[in-house]
Amino acid sequence: MNFKYDKLSSMLRSSLLAGACMLAASLPVAAVGALAVAAPAPAAAQAAAPAVPAAPAAAATATGDGGAAAPGAAAPGAEPPGDFKTLDQEVQSMKKDVIELNKDLFVLQEELLFPANTQVAVYVSMDVGAFFALDSVTIKIDNKEVKNYLYTAREAEALLKGGVQELYLGNLKVGKHELVAFFNGKGPVERDYKRGATITFDKGVGAKYLELKITDRVAKHQPEFKIKDWD
Amino acid sequence: MTTRVTARRVIRWARALALGGLLMSGLAPCASAKNIKPDPNGLPPHDIKDLSYGDVLFYFFQDDYFDAITRLLAAQELDRLPNTEGEAELLLGGLYLSLGEHVEAGKIFEKLLNANTTEAVRNKAWFYLGKVWYERGYLAESERALRQVSDKIQPRISAERTMLLSQIMLREGRYDDAIASLGAWHGPPDWTAYAEFNLGVALVRKGRLADAMPHLDQVGRMATSSEELLALKDKANLAQGFALMQADRPADARPILERVRLNGPYSSKALLGVGWADSSLGEFKRALVPWLALRKRDLLDSAVQESYLTVPYAYNQLGATGQAADFYNSAIDSFDKERKLIDDSIGQIRSGKLLDRLLTDDKQNTLTWYWQLKTLPDAPESRYLYQLLAGDEFQEGLKNYRELNFMRRNLDAWREDLAAFNDMLDTRQHAYEDRVPKADSLVAATDLDALNKKRVDFTSRLNEIEQSNDVAALGTAEERANWARLKHIEDFLALHPDDPDLSDMRDRERLLKGVLYWRLSQSFKARLWNERHAVKELETALIETRQRDLSVKQARQDMPNNNSDFARRVAGIEERIASLQKRLAALSQQQNRYLQALAIHELEAQKQRIDIYQIQARYELAAIYDKTAEKAGRPQPKANPATQANPTPKANP
Repeated sequence: MNFKYDKLSSMLRSSLLAGACMLAASLPVAAVGALAVAAPAPAAAQAAAPAVPAAPAAAATATGDGGAAAPGAAAPGAEPPGDFKTLDQEVQSMKKDVIELNKDLFVLQEELLFPANTQVAVYVSMDVGAFFALDSVTIKIDNKEVKNYLYTAREAEALLKGGVQELYLGNLKVGKHELVAFFNGKGPVERDYKRGATITFDKGVGAKYLELKITDRVAKHQPEFKIKDWD
Repeated sequence: MTTRVTARRVIRWARALALGGLLMSGLAPCASAKNIKPDPNGLPPHDIKDLSYGDVLFYFFQDDYFDAITRLLAAQELDRLPNTEGEAELLLGGLYLSLGEHVEAGKIFEKLLNANTTEAVRNKAWFYLGKVWYERGYLAESERALRQVSDKIQPRISAERTMLLSQIMLREGRYDDAIASLGAWHGPPDWTAYAEFNLGVALVRKGRLADAMPHLDQVGRMATSSEELLALKDKANLAQGFALMQADRPADARPILERVRLNGPYSSKALLGVGWADSSLGEFKRALVPWLALRKRDLLDSAVQESYLTVPYAYNQLGATGQAADFYNSAIDSFDKERKLIDDSIGQIRSGKLLDRLLTDDKQNTLTWYWQLKTLPDAPESRYLYQLLAGDEFQEGLKNYRELNFMRRNLDAWREDLAAFNDMLDTRQHAYEDRVPKADSLVAATDLDALNKKRVDFTSRLNEIEQSNDVAALGTAEERANWARLKHIEDFLALHPDDPDLSDMRDRERLLKGVLYWRLSQSFKARLWNERHAVKELETALIETRQRDLSVKQARQDMPNNNSDFARRVAGIEERIASLQKRLAALSQQQNRYLQALAIHELEAQKQRIDIYQIQARYELAAIYDKTAEKAGRPQPKANPATQANPTPKANP
């Protein structure tokens, strides 16, 4: 009997050692898997698993079921996870269709609400921005306020990086119109700064695009506000 | 976990920057060479070539990739990017990539990057595409993309590319390729550590333990304060220690396993290993020190679970069977509780609420590939899911599920807007029907040909006046009346040429006529110019009126067509939305089921491991009872059903 117990103990030990090895090997797979994106650790971790190639065999001896004994092995009762790639491709295809639909709706909305023959679009751009930090812009067309927009830091930064904001999209009749824009923000030396710019423009039968430009006048260490008519 | 999450966050940030860098480098041609103003913020001055392109960038720079791509595609369709076509296409590829649409991104890059792009842009595009493909498990595509990257690239990107390639080889079991690639590679120090580790692992996998040891040892001894590299260092020591244990060299393994930090993510495995090294050397008392320390930790950890068996095992080996039996009993109870908790968690997951609970705190209504789940909800099943969440498969699947949710909200919102579009079209149709009769009568009452004839007559009359120098014709009404009276007097005087009583009148008439003629002559040219100017304005007005007349007629004719065209488009889109919503619901369910299955699979595996440990604990306990009973010379107690179910005796001849 003693022989039997010694042998069992030895087998248990072997099984536990195998389990421990598998665990040690499998842990980094998952744990470092998180680093996979930045560093090649996940592969390294996965590669660590076979460092104990005999482990499953030892576990199998101890339990009579190698697959089940190996920690982390697939549980017989668990549902099969299915195919990630198939689902991923379906989600991709779905996303592409939704993006396409959004594009069509965007175009439809613009054509329906702002037909080209009456459309007026006002954009805001900012070049360099060393002397002015934008807080808000107010637009008046023909003495009527049509837009008052307060900028978030993120939006202001997007403008500084080269983004151009479509601030106002509206409709105007053919003929002469006047646009006045007021810019509020912090000027040089962090002082409150408010400036205006005006343009009189002819609205023809096609769409009209105007750009409110905030630039730096380096020589005067002052910001400059202009309105460009994109004809 | 904290470390992993932090690392992920840093990586995510770096990745976003990097992709932004890729796209910005694509934008470089936008900058105007003539614009060389100082750049206090390190941002290049820029000229805007197409407003719509700038509009896309406005959203892109705010990481709002979905709006950016929608606007970019719309601008392309509306031909609003005449000067930025190339950059826009490259940006489109980048945006698809940012949205995880690697298939579309791949198509665009393959089309674009073979042509007129700079090598730097080409390299970065292929690199990030390769990286996305790798993470999504498209290994062949990833390798193909990464191999397109030339050597003329930043050292860090080059290093990461080499690592990604070696990872692909390792995942595909191409160890010799990995060994050849990593063996000859030199790069930045942190990447070198990963390369050494991977090389060591590849060598172990090939059974070349002796060759592997120096590489793993080098990583295991490196001096670093970086949390990420410290974790790698621990992992290298752990891998090396267990490899030595496997090679039956416990004395060599022990000091290496002791190098693993006690507060690091691998400390539990290391404690377990140190205990095994001691016990392999017959030092069971010494082995109890790490194992007892380990036993106090959270039972969720598989190493801790194992310590519930190793501790009584050591006591048993030391002859302390009573303590061993107590610990086995305690292990059986703990495993029972843990099994129940796992069963409850599986039940919770099966109820289908897991994913929504995971995404409860996700307030970002954006679509981006960089999203990662950072925190787990405070729920019983959460403790079992850390391991699962650390894996790319679950994270990527969860990302897909989140994206499907975003799309569902997007489609719901559009569906409401479409109802408003239909109302608008109805209103427009009513307004049209109201206005048409008025417009028709106005158009009918306006005889543009007659007006034009009048203009022609007037022009002819002006020409006659000019040719005949009829200065009086352009006089004021008073002047013309005076001129007519003088003419009348002149006619009267002409009838009485010899009447001496009229000589005074004749003189006065001549004088007045001369004065009036002088005045009319003086202002004749100005008046003639004014009249001609008025005729020109009349001409312009007539042209405009004619255009408006045409526009009204055209609008009258087109309006029903336009309205029905819009109505048709709206109806078409409604159908598409309905179909997409149906597809989306099915896909969300599939994705939910898939992730649920992954989670349950993970929990079942954990449960099964506990089951095995429990069986082993029961078996050992029965064995202790047997041994004790035998020693006491009493009849053996009947083995309990669990013991009978233990498969171990079957393996024992």
